[in-house]
Amino acid sequence: MTRLLERPLVHFALAAATVLVLPLVLRSGTLASEILIYGLAAAACNLLLGYTGLLSFGQGIFFGLGSYAAGLLLLRTGWPALAVLPAVAVVGAATATAVGWLSIRRQGVYFVMLTLAFSQLFYFLAYTFSDLTGGDNGLLNVPRPMVGGKPLSDPWAYYAYVAVLFLALFAALQRVALSTFGRTLLAIRDNEARASAIGFPVRAFKVAAFAISGAVTALAGALHAMLIGVAPLSNIEYHTSETLLIMTIIGGAANLFASVLGAAFYLIAGDLLSAIWPRWLLLLGVLLVAIALFMQRGLWGLIERAAALATRGGAGRSPDERAAPEESRP
Amino acid sequence: MTYLFQILNGIGLGMLYFLLAVGLSVIFGLLQFVNFAHGAFYMLGAYLAYEMVGRGVSFWLALPLACLAVAALAALTEAALLRRIYAQAHTFHILATVGLALAVQEIVIIVWGPIGGNLPPPDSLSGVVILGDFVYPEYRLFVIALTAILAAGLWWLLEGTRLGAIVRAGSESPEDMALLGYDTRRINTAVFGLGAGLAGLAGALAAPIRGVDPFMSVEALSVAFVVVVIGGMGSYVGALAAGIAVGVAQSLMTTLWPEGARLMIYLGMAAVIVMRPRGLFGRA
Repeated sequence: MTRLLERPLVHFALAAATVLVLPLVLRSGTLASEILIYGLAAAACNLLLGYTGLLSFGQGIFFGLGSYAAGLLLLRTGWPALAVLPAVAVVGAATATAVGWLSIRRQGVYFVMLTLAFSQLFYFLAYTFSDLTGGDNGLLNVPRPMVGGKPLSDPWAYYAYVAVLFLALFAALQRVALSTFGRTLLAIRDNEARASAIGFPVRAFKVAAFAISGAVTALAGALHAMLIGVAPLSNIEYHTSETLLIMTIIGGAANLFASVLGAAFYLIAGDLLSAIWPRWLLLLGVLLVAIALFMQRGLWGLIERAAALATRGGAGRSPDERAAPEESRP
Repeated sequence: MTYLFQILNGIGLGMLYFLLAVGLSVIFGLLQFVNFAHGAFYMLGAYLAYEMVGRGVSFWLALPLACLAVAALAALTEAALLRRIYAQAHTFHILATVGLALAVQEIVIIVWGPIGGNLPPPDSLSGVVILGDFVYPEYRLFVIALTAILAAGLWWLLEGTRLGAIVRAGSESPEDMALLGYDTRRINTAVFGLGAGLAGLAGALAAPIRGVDPFMSVEALSVAFVVVVIGGMGSYVGALAAGIAVGVAQSLMTTLWPEGARLMIYLGMAAVIVMRPRGLFGRA
C-alpha cells in the first residue's frame, strides 16, 4: 500500500477521483472549480518547490498576469477562450522566464527574497497601469468561455470545462516531472554542485522549470478570472503568492497530487471556518507553525503514515527520506 | 527647492528602512534564519505606540516602551518556538514565520479593527521648521536625528563592543563560539530580540508619519528585503547606504511620477541584481 502511494498513475487516479467526488460533496460549483484551479496552480508551484528545490514567493505574478491576459484578450480581441488560453500560457512562460532568470542569480534565502520583491514589483505595475488593469477595481466583465454558441454560465457546466483542462494539465505536469528533464531537476534539487559538475546546464534547467510553472499558473489565473468574471488586483498581490505557497506546503512537497490536496484542504477549511469566524486566518497561522514543527511532510505525509500503519509499518520509509534537502547556505 | 525637501524626506524614510533592514540582516547573519515575521514586529511596534498614546501615555515614553515590548515578545517567541526549527531547511523557517506573521495580522485586526488609524506626532514636535524659503515638519527632522544617533550607536554596538564581537564571531562559526564556552542559545535569543526591537522602533517612529493599518507589515517586509538585496545581507554599511538610497529614490519619484514611486524601488532592485548579483556591498 505504501508502495502504491508512490506511483504517478495512482496520483493521476486520485486527481481524477477528486474531479468526480467534488460535485458529490460540495454544494457550490464555484468552490469546486476554485479547488481545481488553485490545485493546478499549487501543483505548478510544487514543480519548483518539490522537484527543483526553489521556494518561489512569486507565483502570484503568473496567476495575476494570467487573469489580466485572459481578460484583456477576451474583452478586446473577441477571440474564443480556446485561442486565448494558449496565448495566456505564452505570457506566463515568458514572464516566468524573465523572473526566474533574474531570481536564480541568487541562491537560498536571497532567491526567496528576490521572488517576493518581484511579486511586489508586478503588483505595483498592475496598480500603476490602471487603464489597462482597472487598478483597484480589477478588470471587469471577463466573460465565461463559449461552448456550442452559449456561455457556460452555470457553475457546474463551467466546472466541467475546468475539470477537463485540469486533468490535461495535471497529466502534462506529471509527464514533465517523470521525464528525463524532471529527473534532472531532482538531481539539481538534491545536489546542485554535483549536477553542475556532471555537465548539466543547471541555470537553464531552473529557468525552464520556471517557464513551465509560470505557463500552468497563468492558465490557472485565466480560468479563475473567467470563473469570477473579474481579473482582480488581488490575484497579483503578495497574498496570492503566499496562499499558493501555503497550499503547496500544507499538501506536502512529495508529489503533484499532494498540492491538489493542499489546495482542497485550504479552500474547504476556509469556506467552512470563515462562515463561523471571519478571522480564521489566525488558526491558519498557528497551523503553519505546527506544520513547520511537527508535520513537515504535510497532509500527504499523514496519508503515508496512515498507510504504513495500515500495512503494519512493513514498507514504511523513514519520514526524512524524501524530504526536500537543506538548501545550500550562502 | 522641492527637490531638497524630497531628499530630506527620503533620508528620513531611508533611515527607517535602514532600521528595519539592519535588524533582519543581523538576525540572518547570526542565526542563518530568514525572519518573514519581521514586518509583523514592525507593525506591532507601530500599534503599541498608537495604543499607548491613545490611552494618554506620553509619546516619549511610548516610543521606548513599544520598542522594548516588541523586543521582549520576539525574544520570548524565539526561545519558545523558533529555536526548535533552526536545524531544519529554510522552507520551514519561512513557513513558521509566515504563519506567525499571519497570526499577528489577524490578532491586530481582532484587537484594533481592520481600518487602521492615525497617531499625531507629539505636541512638542507638531510644528514646522522654516529653512530659508521652505517649511519642514519638525517630527521628520527628529526622526532623522534620532535614527542617525541610533545608527551610530548600533555601529558601536556591533563593531566596538564585546557583544558585537560575539555576534560577528557567531555569524562566522557558531560551533567555535559554543566550544569557547559561550551560551549561544542566550546570544541567539538576545540578538533576535534586538533585531525585532529595531523593527518595532521603526514601526513606532513611522506611525506618526504614515498611520497604522493591519497590512503595513507586508510592505515593510518587502522593502526590508529590497534594502538587504541591494545592500548585501550582513553588511551594516550596505543596509545604511541602500536604505537611504531607496528612501531618497522613492521620495524623489513622488514628485516626478507619484503613481510609480513605489514601483521604482523594485525596478531599481531588479537593475542592481542584473548588474551586481551580490548587491552593492555584499561579500561574495
